[in-house]
Amino acid sequence: MGIAEATATAREQTRARYPDAEGYTDRAGVRLYWERYGDGEPTVLLLPTWSIVHSRFWKAQIPYLARHFRVLTFDGRGNGRSDRPEPAAAYSEREFAADTLAVMEATATRRAVLVSLSCGALWSTPLAAEHPDRVAGLVYLGPAVALAPPHPERAVHSFLEPLDTDEGWAMYNQHYWLRDYRGFLEFFFSRCLTEPHSTKQREDCVGWALEMAPETLIATELGLLSCGLESFERQCHRVRCPTLVIHGDEDAIRPHAQGAALAAATRGRLVTLAGSGHLPQARDPVKVNLLLREFVESIAGRAR
Amino acid sequence: MTLTMTASGQTRARYPDEEGYLERDGVTVFWERYGEGEPTLLLLPAWSIAHSRLWKAQIPYLARHYRVVTFDGRGNGRSDRPSTAEAYDDAEYLADALAVLDATGTERAVLIGLSRGGRWAAELAAARPERALGAVLIDPSIAHVAPPHPWWTHPFDEELDTDEGWAKYNRHYWLRDYRGFLQFFAEEVFCEPHSTKQIEDLVGWGLATTADTLVLTQLGAQPASAGEMEGILRRVRCPVQVIHGDDDRLRPLAVAAAAAELTGGALVGIQGGGHCPQARDPVKVNLLICQFVESLGGMAR
Repeated sequence: MGIAEATATAREQTRARYPDAEGYTDRAGVRLYWERYGDGEPTVLLLPTWSIVHSRFWKAQIPYLARHFRVLTFDGRGNGRSDRPEPAAAYSEREFAADTLAVMEATATRRAVLVSLSCGALWSTPLAAEHPDRVAGLVYLGPAVALAPPHPERAVHSFLEPLDTDEGWAMYNQHYWLRDYRGFLEFFFSRCLTEPHSTKQREDCVGWALEMAPETLIATELGLLSCGLESFERQCHRVRCPTLVIHGDEDAIRPHAQGAALAAATRGRLVTLAGSGHLPQARDPVKVNLLLREFVESIAGRAR
Repeated sequence: MTLTMTASGQTRARYPDEEGYLERDGVTVFWERYGEGEPTLLLLPAWSIAHSRLWKAQIPYLARHYRVVTFDGRGNGRSDRPSTAEAYDDAEYLADALAVLDATGTERAVLIGLSRGGRWAAELAAARPERALGAVLIDPSIAHVAPPHPWWTHPFDEELDTDEGWAKYNRHYWLRDYRGFLQFFAEEVFCEPHSTKQIEDLVGWGLATTADTLVLTQLGAQPASAGEMEGILRRVRCPVQVIHGDDDRLRPLAVAAAAAELTGGALVGIQGGGHCPQARDPVKVNLLICQFVESLGGMAR
C-alpha cells in the first residue's frame, strides 16, 4: 500500500478539471474514494469497471460532462484510493452495486444516470432493476455481458489452471499474472485499445493497473466469475428506465453482439461505433461525450 | 497527386473561408484564408517535405481570434513542383510569400514560420520590414549561427557506404528508398512519446511529393555564411518570438538562442519538445503565439 501510494503520487498527471468535492465513505469496513464535479442537473454517475483501472479512466468525460451536469465517480474497490479487501467474495457484482448506493448516499444523491463500461454493466443493471427510483437512465459502453457468446479465442484457456503456453489469451491466467503481471497488462490493453495511435491510452491503463497487485486482480476476477447469467437476464427484463448501449464494432474484448443483445434485453437504443475497440470513452471521447450528453438531456425532463 | 491527397484526406476542424491559386513566373501557389480578425497571421510553409496542413493544430484556434493566411510551399500540396533547383531558392519562397500577401490584400502580417519557414520569416522581416508586424520563429533552421548536432555530418551529395541513422539524409538514399527516409526523418522530428499520428501525417505529406523534388529543394540557395546569416538576423526590426523544443534533434536549442539574440527577440524553450512543437504541443504553441500577437498591441493595429 505504501509503495502503491507513492507510485500513484509520482504518476499523477495534471488534470483538465479537479473535483469540486471529494471524500471517502466506509461500507462494511471497506473505504471507497469518490469525487464530485460540477453542480448541474441531473447527476451523472460514472461507475467503476473491472478494478484493473480506477476512476481516471473517465478522464476524457469528466471535464466535458461537468460543464453541463453534476458528475460523480469513485474508485472501485481494489484500485485507486479505495481499499483492497483480500477475499474474492468482496469483489462480486453485489458488492460493487452496494458501493454505488453507498456513494450516492454519501453525496446526497437521490437519483442519477448510471454510466458503465465493460463489466460495470453487471452492477448498474441490478441497481436499475431493484432501485428504479434511484436510477434515471443507464448507459453501457462495451458491456461485458454473457447475453451472447464470447470471442472464441477467449474461451480456449482456463483462468484457474496452470497452462503450458503463454501465447495470446493464454496470458489471461492467474498463474501467468503472478509470473509476469506487466506482460499480461501490455497484452490485455493492446487488445482493449486496438485503434491506431493508442500508445498514450495503453500507457495510462497499464500505469493504473500497476497501482494494484496481481493478487488483488486475481481476487476481482474470481469474484466476477461467480456472477450468474440467469439472474442477470432477469434483471435486464426488469429495467424500466431508458437505456443506451454504445459498442465498438471492433471490440476485441467483448463482441458487439453482446452489446446488441443487451440493448434488445433492456429495450434500449444501440449505437455502433465503427472501427472502435473496447474503450471508446478513451479513444473516441468526443463521440462518446456527445452521445452521453444527448442521452442525459433526452431524459432530463423525466429525471427531475 | 490530387487523387492521393483526396484518398488520404481527413476531415478538418475548420475549413477555409476563402482559397485560391496565384501564379508567379509560371509557378502556381495554393493559398487559404481563415477568419476575419485583426491582425493577419501568415503561416509560412516549412520544408516542402510537408504542406500547409502542418499548421492544422493552429489554424482553427488562431482563426477564432485573427485573420489567418497560409499557403502550400512550392514542391508540395496543391502548389506546383518546378523542376529546377533555382526554383527552390530562399528568394523564391520569400517572393511567393509576398505574392500571397498581395493576392489576399494583406498589407502587413505577423510572419510565423517553422524550421526553414522560421528562417524565411526572419529573411522576409529583414528584407521587407514594412510588411512584417512581428515574426515567430519555431525551431528555425538557421545554419552558421551555432554548431549543428554532432550527428549532422554526412555529406548530402556523396554516395555513402552506410544507410544508418542520419546517413539517410542523403540524395542517393532518398532516390533509393524515399519512404525509408521519410519514416526515419519523421521519427527524428517527433521524438516525443505518443507521436504515432504525427509521424503518420508527416510521412503522408512527404509522399505527396517525390524524392526528386525534395532533392531539388535541398539544392536551392540559402544564406551561405555566418556573416550573411547574422547580417540578415541583425536587420530584423520587428518584435520576434523564438520557440524551440529543447530536444529538437534537427536543430539544437543553441540555434534558437542565437537567432533570438541576433534579432533582439525573446526565446521560449519547450521542455521535452522536438522539432515540431506546433504539432506535438499545440496548446502551448498556440497560447505563445496569441500572447505574442497580443503584445504587439497598438503596433499591430
